[in-house]
Amino acid sequence: MNRRKLALPIAAVGAFALLISGCSSGGSGSESGSGDPNAEFEFWSFTGIGQKDSVARYLEENPDAKVKLSEVGSTTETATALTAALAGGRVPDLVMIQNDDLPKFVENPGNFVDLRTLGGDDIGDDYLDWAIDGATAENGSVIGIPTDVGGLTFAYRADLFEAAGLPTDPAEVAEMWSTWDKFIEMGKKYTAATGEPFVDNVETSVFFSTVNQVSEKYYSPDGELIYDKNPEVEEAFDVAVRTYEAGISASIPAWSSGWAPGKANGAFAVTTAPSWMLSGFKTDAPDTEGLWRIASIPGVGGNWGGSVIAIPARADNPEAAWQYIKTMLSPEGQTEHFATTGTFPAAKDALESDEVRSYTDPFFGDSPVGATMSESVLQFSSFYNGPDTSAIGAALLNALVDMEAGNVKPADAWKTGLDSAKAAIGG
Amino acid sequence: MTATATAIPVQKIRRRDRPPTQKIRQPFAERIAPYLYVAPFFVIFAVFGLFPLLFTFYVALFDWNPIGEQTFVGLANFERLFQDPRFWNAFVNTFGIFLISTIPQLLLALGLAHLLNHATLKMANFFRMALLVPYITSVAATALVFSQIFDKNFGLINWILDLVGAPAVNFLSSQLGSWIVISSMVMWRWFGYNTLLYLAGLQALPREMYEAASVDGASGWQQFIHLTIPSLRPIIIFTVIMSTIGGLQIFTEPLLVAPESGLTCGGGRQCQTLALFLYEQGFGQFEFGYGSAIGVALFVIVVVVSLINFYLTTRTRKARA
Repeated sequence: MNRRKLALPIAAVGAFALLISGCSSGGSGSESGSGDPNAEFEFWSFTGIGQKDSVARYLEENPDAKVKLSEVGSTTETATALTAALAGGRVPDLVMIQNDDLPKFVENPGNFVDLRTLGGDDIGDDYLDWAIDGATAENGSVIGIPTDVGGLTFAYRADLFEAAGLPTDPAEVAEMWSTWDKFIEMGKKYTAATGEPFVDNVETSVFFSTVNQVSEKYYSPDGELIYDKNPEVEEAFDVAVRTYEAGISASIPAWSSGWAPGKANGAFAVTTAPSWMLSGFKTDAPDTEGLWRIASIPGVGGNWGGSVIAIPARADNPEAAWQYIKTMLSPEGQTEHFATTGTFPAAKDALESDEVRSYTDPFFGDSPVGATMSESVLQFSSFYNGPDTSAIGAALLNALVDMEAGNVKPADAWKTGLDSAKAAIGG
Repeated sequence: MTATATAIPVQKIRRRDRPPTQKIRQPFAERIAPYLYVAPFFVIFAVFGLFPLLFTFYVALFDWNPIGEQTFVGLANFERLFQDPRFWNAFVNTFGIFLISTIPQLLLALGLAHLLNHATLKMANFFRMALLVPYITSVAATALVFSQIFDKNFGLINWILDLVGAPAVNFLSSQLGSWIVISSMVMWRWFGYNTLLYLAGLQALPREMYEAASVDGASGWQQFIHLTIPSLRPIIIFTVIMSTIGGLQIFTEPLLVAPESGLTCGGGRQCQTLALFLYEQGFGQFEFGYGSAIGVALFVIVVVVSLINFYLTTRTRKARA
């Protein structure tokens, strides 16, 4: 009698105990498979980068391989999930990390397999120098192989340019705004002729471009913080302030509620267009097909975004993950991936290939999209990014957003940005 | 001493009075059974509620990199916190949004509940259920719609302002404007829920009370002030405390309303709440130690405000009784 009465609650407690232990355990996996390149490996990717297609092609070439692909979420969500996994959970065998999130992981290279141990010391030679530098830790360990970069260009509305009496051909436009001062002059002409703003905003369209056209950014090459005394950064910031003061900015921040409608209704004629943003034009402004053109940005070279692929140190099947990297991230693999998904390659040979160079898109009036983007990343300069690079960048960016919102005077914006960067990195 | 000495014989007498067939001591299994029945909740609560809470206090004492080194820094995180203008900014924003959203919301809910309780109301069930629609709509959808309504360039409100010749307002760019946007989202979501709570309380009241008041010549307003509000006091206390706890932890609305500036809700952090600041530091910057310190501060603030609330509401109850 008593025993029967007790059975139910004990069973209930037991079930919950199982449930809880089930949540926290895991991660051990099968040790036996670790040397087998065809063992099943778990792959965490972002959404929207066409990784399913890449995995399908890999399985075609290696019918014996087994891949468990999880599209975790946005780039940030994937980085957060990876952080949690590395801190004490079940890690994937292969994971994509977006370049903005990368410094935090490179800072602690012990969490990842040094890919030189799998692919040799010359493993990075195939890829853009600055892209592989970003994945190389201070101790020389290479924790990631670049999967793609974000070739940076400007998109502009040929119809609106024509109405304002400006050239419409991409080569002529690029020539006319070859420097940022010329860009501002051109904007003044446009605004004088049409009464409309020229560029969508100054923080992403101008500052994100100028601040990456430097030889040193927020850190010196040996990792010392110099963001507040580097004249190159101050000048990059000042170009954005001058653009605003010229009265040619629509002050519509990227991804704000007015941005997508603005692309559709001509609220601005120029906006930033890294490779991964091109599809956004088609979804945000489908009716503007054929009206946009793609041209090089002012100054020299540009990149926004891109990612690497890495193998966590605690991965169950690093060999299998490595075989995937070797097959799919080779220059040929990246060229093919570009042809099917439009993901812009990070391998030098892929950037020189005909498939990339000759790529055009009727939505952008058959502008030389592939050639323009590959020039921009080939000319992009390498500089050291530290753990606080993205925090400092966000602080300076927000100062410009606040200036465009009318809360900060243009003359005070630089100081506001420095103060909040200082607060962000802990004084 | 003497009290316990005399207590024992009393118990003995009582036990002796019981019929001899009844067991005096229940077996161990039966005594423990009720605890086992309630254990699942407490086990889950301990694992997912209590442990994280205590662990947060512990982590707050460290410079804690989740994938790197963890160094003990004592109270340095709190020292930094109290000197951090971003913390005080988030503190002011949280209270600003809390006050703007909660006070009008509860007043509106109270008035609406009074109207919905009216005996002559047609289709009462339809109106009562309609109130729940905002509550079951996802916050993300609400945020998307509201940020479009308040948009500077193409928003509905600025379109109307334009029609009457008023200049466009960039709501999200100013502190007060962004508070209003967020508060309106919070109100939209919660006022129906609170109305239903009040309505439930009202329906438990005897109708005769209102009839008697009508016979005595009390107007609708007088009935509301002298009957409805005093009888609903326990429910009002409940909604005030729940709104306080929820209002001080507003997170999703400021996160989603200004996606262009990441986790700061505006370039000048004009609508960043404490909960969002916590998330920015913990999961944006991976500064778990500092983020935990913000969490501890938020915990203390919620406890203090709830105590003040409780003190005020019980004092008014005693004063009136």
